Amino acid sequence: MKALIRCTVNDEEHVVLADPRDSLLELLRDRLGLTGTKEGCSNGNCGTCTVLVDGAPVNACLMLAAEAQGHEVVTVESLSEGTKLHPIQQALVEYGGTQCGFCTPGIVMSAKALLDANPRPTEDEIRHAIAGNLCRCTGYDKIVAAIAAVAATEGE
Amino acid sequence: MTVLPGGGNEKKELWIVGKRVPRVDGRERVTGKAIYPADLNLPGMVHAKILRSPHAHARIRRIDTSRATALKGVVAVVTAADFVDLPIGATVTMGDAGYDVWVVAHTNMARETVHWVGQPVAAVAAVDVHTAEAALKLIEVEYEPLPPVVDLAEAMAPDAPVLHSNVVTKGVEPAPRSPSNVCSRTVIERGDTAAAIERATAIGEAHARIDTAHQGYLEPQVVVAQVDPNGFATVWASTQGQFTAELMLARILGLPQSKIRVVPLEVGGAFGGKIALHGEAAAVRLAEKCGQPVKLVLTREEVLQGGSGPAAGALIDIRVGADREGQLTAIEGTYRVDAGGLPGMSPSLIMQASAALYQCPNLKLEGYDVVTNKPRTEAYRGPGGIQAAFAMEQALDVLCQRLDLDPLEFRKRNAAVTGSLMPIGTPFPTIGLTTILEEVGQHPCWTDPLPAGKHPRGRGLALGYWRGTSMTSAAHITIAGDGRPMVTMGPVDISGTRTAMAQVVAEEFGLSVEDVHVSTGDSKSAGYSDIAAGSRVARTTTAALVEASADALRQLRMRAAEKLQASPEDLDYAGGVFRTRKPGGAAISLAELMQATLGEGAIVGRGVSTRLPLGVEIGAHVCDVEVDPGTGQTTVLRYTAFQDVGCALNPPAIEGQMQGSVAQGLGWALTEGFDYAPDGRLRNASLLDYRIPTALDVPPIDCVLIETPVPGVPYGVRGVGEVPIVPVAGAVANAVARAIGVRVWHMPMTPERVLRAIRGGVLD
Repeated sequence: MKALIRCTVNDEEHVVLADPRDSLLELLRDRLGLTGTKEGCSNGNCGTCTVLVDGAPVNACLMLAAEAQGHEVVTVESLSEGTKLHPIQQALVEYGGTQCGFCTPGIVMSAKALLDANPRPTEDEIRHAIAGNLCRCTGYDKIVAAIAAVAATEGE
Repeated sequence: MTVLPGGGNEKKELWIVGKRVPRVDGRERVTGKAIYPADLNLPGMVHAKILRSPHAHARIRRIDTSRATALKGVVAVVTAADFVDLPIGATVTMGDAGYDVWVVAHTNMARETVHWVGQPVAAVAAVDVHTAEAALKLIEVEYEPLPPVVDLAEAMAPDAPVLHSNVVTKGVEPAPRSPSNVCSRTVIERGDTAAAIERATAIGEAHARIDTAHQGYLEPQVVVAQVDPNGFATVWASTQGQFTAELMLARILGLPQSKIRVVPLEVGGAFGGKIALHGEAAAVRLAEKCGQPVKLVLTREEVLQGGSGPAAGALIDIRVGADREGQLTAIEGTYRVDAGGLPGMSPSLIMQASAALYQCPNLKLEGYDVVTNKPRTEAYRGPGGIQAAFAMEQALDVLCQRLDLDPLEFRKRNAAVTGSLMPIGTPFPTIGLTTILEEVGQHPCWTDPLPAGKHPRGRGLALGYWRGTSMTSAAHITIAGDGRPMVTMGPVDISGTRTAMAQVVAEEFGLSVEDVHVSTGDSKSAGYSDIAAGSRVARTTTAALVEASADALRQLRMRAAEKLQASPEDLDYAGGVFRTRKPGGAAISLAELMQATLGEGAIVGRGVSTRLPLGVEIGAHVCDVEVDPGTGQTTVLRYTAFQDVGCALNPPAIEGQMQGSVAQGLGWALTEGFDYAPDGRLRNASLLDYRIPTALDVPPIDCVLIETPVPGVPYGVRGVGEVPIVPVAGAVANAVARAIGVRVWHMPMTPERVLRAIRGGVLD
């Protein structure tokens, strides 16, 4: 059985033939081919599937695709323009805040949500904002440094 | 971060090696464009699912897949009958010891008996995941359940049910007449330890129990396999070793190696857990049967509930003795390692690791690998090191407390130096442990008094050692039409080695990092290379690329000489240009040279490194904690990691390895432990209940890198990636003990266990 899902992803309207059981994550990755958002646990525990829904960070694996109707979904693909990186992305590269890269898209989205709402966060606020994004490689140090650096330059 | 020179370091002036260079492959990661196997979609691709045993121990009486095969949308089904029945002891090449492929085969498909909950018994491929899952439910498996043995100590009891009737304890003289769950006994000894313990002025003991833990890679195992009409299989995998994977697949599938190509895609974390196969063989056989590409994705629950190989739990008892001056006179240890459901997890490395850093004339170490009805354990970052150090570093700390001796001073008095004998009798190559200890003593993390806080606080010190391995790495360099080097590395990059190797080749060619392109080859496009493990890739691939660079430059020199009408010896090369030595002499750039000679064929520089002299890894960590006596909660306040890195190819990248390792170590030290029910089912098979550290659990981690180069290897590079996890649990445990006045012997030291220790002072 199929379901017709309408949603707005990265400012584009889509009409997708999906399975009613599809999560938003499956819709993005498998139906729309937006594989930048990752699947780490499909249980809402790791944050690798973090996307923005109406500006708020959400675990896409915990939302049904059908629930996306009427909302604006933003994924990591929308942040860079061609080869030009978003400042958060640029900082993560420069500061070594990405190693295997699997948690990185989720971290980027959580960081974007934070800085959009709070342009001058404290270190504690940064750590809270990414507390739902597990990283097994970096120990978080350089991720926090990267986000703080963006806040320092952009948040003036 | 601080980078300090160690001993014997006449550092030559380097151009790009040793500099802070951001990852050359960072942009793909931050944009989500890096391709992991789950991101790969091929036309006509179908989806596989694995049927797993619900029993921890059972005989398989019968499997009937007919109803699954008949389900609309199912395109292929496999069971053990579809794979080669390998003899016990079958291995594939890996270094000097080989790698047990019989174990890997059984980890991928049980045969006759299941040994853990989650062990695969069949697999299906179908048009979508939902149909595949429905098909699994239609496979009928008749099990005869057998009593499971889950607990390590219980498995060693003389009356324990025997899991493998053919396993008789090796290393015992005379050989036992009956089988047991104790697969082997290893002894390392020198001197007369019993007598030395008797005579010692003071003794320290440890009785440690370490729970099984998981490497915790965020990317579950995923594989895409396709077999073409000629029977040639291409496998896209998240793997630490494409060549080893190819060898294993060839044996398990009964295919010639020339019919298999393994393409390593980006790896979303591995840490030792992606050396063996976990589904690749099934994916290939399914792809063969249905003629379509097959994608197999493990769910997180599958990964934890028997679908992968976790890190071994252990029971370790140690006694150490010292004389009045605080000189170590005896080390006595018994190490029991949990192999999980299949035999062969040698404890030898962890025994050596625990004692190696200390000069001690008498030592007796006994190790046992024991089978239990849990997933077969696999490697995890310096496998066994952190478990052993949790026990040994605490035993030494107890000894220090009894001698009323500062723990750093104790380490200085007993530290191994270059030439000291390791436990197995080999002398240490050039090491800088003494330098590390001196740096610790002068650093504010040691000299700053521990500030008082709301709750009791303590400071802990622990050392760590890891030997690593060298094995084989190959790489080659071709020169593009614009004169720039294109590097193909054999070993998989799981730690940022593509970037470090770009730096090495840039250095060798006198070019900038941006001029060098590095990619990882697959098992048919690169020279044979062993797995990315054992802290070997950066050092050995550096050696291979130094050779490959020289080879390429030699070929270029010949061509340049021809073009410049000079002898090759009369040319100078620097920064991408060949020049004749005579004044006003002609010059030709690599770009001009290549454009002028494209028709002469490719320039291919080759290099290979085998058995590179070892640069062992040594670290010392200092940790401050605060323990809430009402809840047992431990907060890590401050953490400093010192490490001898030989020659830091890329200091921030090494710092990243250290910080990541420390976070992993903090996880196992405080919150990560598998909780098995008596029936062998894992109770905490999710990332909610298997608690890995978040950004709120890890303090800033300060790193001090000391450079004691390894003599006789290009750039003096030392392995760096494993040792930074080794001391962590010991350092935290020592800090906790100093804070609360009692020892916690059960790792992870969860709040519950800390509370029990505080309230009862009893062993958990």
